[in-house]
Amino acid sequence: MNWVKKYGPPLLLFIATIALWELMVRMLDIQKFLLPAPSVIGAAFIENLDRLTYVGWFTTKEALGGLAIGSTLGIGVALATARWTIVSEALMPFAIAANSVPIIAFAPIFNNWFGIDNPFAKMMIVAVIVFFPMMINTVRGLTLVDPAALELMHSYAATDYQVLWKLRLPNALPYIFSAFKVAATLSMIGAVVSEFFGGSRSALGVFITQEAAQFRFQNSWAAIIIASIIGIGFYMVVILVERIAIPWHSSMRGPTHH
Amino acid sequence: MDQNVVSMTNVSKVFGESSNNKTIALQNIDLTIAPNEFISIIGPSGCGKSTLLRLIGDLITPSSGDIRVNGKQAHQARLDQDYGMVFQAPVLFEWRRILQNVSLPLELRGVKKKDRETQARRLLGMVELNGFEDHYPWQLSGGMQQRAAIARSLATQPQLLLMDEPFGALDEMTRERMNMEVLKIWEQTQVTVVFVTHSIAEAVFLSTRIVVMSARPGRIMHIVDVDLPVPRDEQTREMETYFRVETEVREWLRKAEEYSG
Repeated sequence: MNWVKKYGPPLLLFIATIALWELMVRMLDIQKFLLPAPSVIGAAFIENLDRLTYVGWFTTKEALGGLAIGSTLGIGVALATARWTIVSEALMPFAIAANSVPIIAFAPIFNNWFGIDNPFAKMMIVAVIVFFPMMINTVRGLTLVDPAALELMHSYAATDYQVLWKLRLPNALPYIFSAFKVAATLSMIGAVVSEFFGGSRSALGVFITQEAAQFRFQNSWAAIIIASIIGIGFYMVVILVERIAIPWHSSMRGPTHH
Repeated sequence: MDQNVVSMTNVSKVFGESSNNKTIALQNIDLTIAPNEFISIIGPSGCGKSTLLRLIGDLITPSSGDIRVNGKQAHQARLDQDYGMVFQAPVLFEWRRILQNVSLPLELRGVKKKDRETQARRLLGMVELNGFEDHYPWQLSGGMQQRAAIARSLATQPQLLLMDEPFGALDEMTRERMNMEVLKIWEQTQVTVVFVTHSIAEAVFLSTRIVVMSARPGRIMHIVDVDLPVPRDEQTREMETYFRVETEVREWLRKAEEYSG
C-alpha cells in the first residue's frame, strides 16, 4: 500500500499530462513540426529504437568519460589543497567564478583542438563542466568540519593525515554525493549540447539536429526521450551508491527515532 | 619529583595580544591538583573556565606561566594522550557506530582492532550502553550520546579527565543520573577529574574541591573544600554539610560577580 501512496500520485500526473498533450494536439489540430502528439513520438521511438540505442550509447560513453575525468580531477584538486587551506581559499573565488561561466560555449573551440569527430573533445567539455561543482563541494565538505571535532582530534594528538582520513574526508562524503547528483545530470546535458556544435554521425546530439533539419521532428523528440532516460539513469545510480556508501547520513534516515 | 596530576604556576592567558582590543582571559592562576581529586571550576560566564581547561589540555597555549600534567609539560602530556576530554556536545562522528566512536582514540594510537574493540566494549559496559555497540549516534538519546563520549574519553585509560560542562545540554533528571554515573566511574577508575560547570548543586555533589573564579580578568577567587563523605549517593544531597558548602559556594560566587562588576 505504501508503494501506491508513494508512486501513485506522480504516476497519475504523468499519465494525465501525456493524455492532455495528446488531446490538445488532436483537438487543436497542431502541426506535426510544431508539436508532435505523444502517440507519434512513441511510434517514432519504436521505429528508430536500434538507431536511438546506438547513438544513445555513443553519447553515454562521452558523458561517463567526462564525468570520470572531471570528478577525479575535482576531488583530487580539493584533497590536494585541503592540506594547504591558503591554496584552496585562494582558489575558491576563481572556481566559483569559473562555475558560472557557460562552459558549453567552449565546445567549438574544443572541437577545433581535439577534432570535431573525436569523442574526446566532448569528454573534455563534460570534464570541465563537472570539475568545478565537484571541486567546490569537496572543498566545502573538507573544510566545514565541526570545530569541536577538530578539537577532539587535536586533544588526541592526531596527525594531519589522520584528521584528513578519519574526519575531513568522511565529513565531505555527503557533499561529494550532492555534487555527483548535479554532475551526473550535467554530464549528459554537456555531452548532447556540445554535439550540437558538430560531431560524429553516431552522436545523439548530431542525430537530434539532423533529424530536426529534415523536419522529422518526431525523431528529435524520440532522441530527447532517450537522452532523458539516460540522464535519469545516471542520477538513480548515484542515489543507489549514496545509499550504500553513507547509510549514516541524515538524508538516509528512516522515520523511526529512539 | 612532582606528584601532582596538574600544576599551574602563575599562568596568564591574553587573547588578541598584539591587537587593540586584547582581553585578559586569565591572570596569575596558581592551581595544583593531586591524584584522584575531583575538582570543579565554577564562576560567572566569561570568567575563563573553559580557557583554563583548554590550557591544561594544551588545546591553547598560555601567554605566560608554566603548566604541567603528570609532571610533564602540558604539550608533551597531550602528545602522550595523558588525558581524556568530554565536551558540552558529545562530538560523536556520525559516520561511525558507537563502538567505533569509543575506540577512536585507540585507533589513532595504532592499537590493534581486536584489542581496541575489547576495550571499547568494556567501557560501554561501564557506562551501561551494552547492546548499543552497532548503533549510529543519532539513534541514541542525548544522555546516552554523552555517556558514549565519556566512554571514549576513558579509552586510553588516562589519569586525567577534563570535562567542559558535559551535562549542560541535558535535562535535570538526566543530569542527576549522569552525575551518579560520573561518580561511579571516578571511584572505579581512580581518575582525576577537572570539571567545568555553572551548576552549584552539581559542583557540590561531585567535587572534593571547588574552584570559584571571577571574571574579567579571570582569577581564582577562592577554593572551597567539600568535606562530604565518599562514596556519595542520594542521601548526600540531604546532609547538613551539603547545604553548608552550597551556601559557601553561593556566597563566593556572589562576591565574584561583584568583583567582576
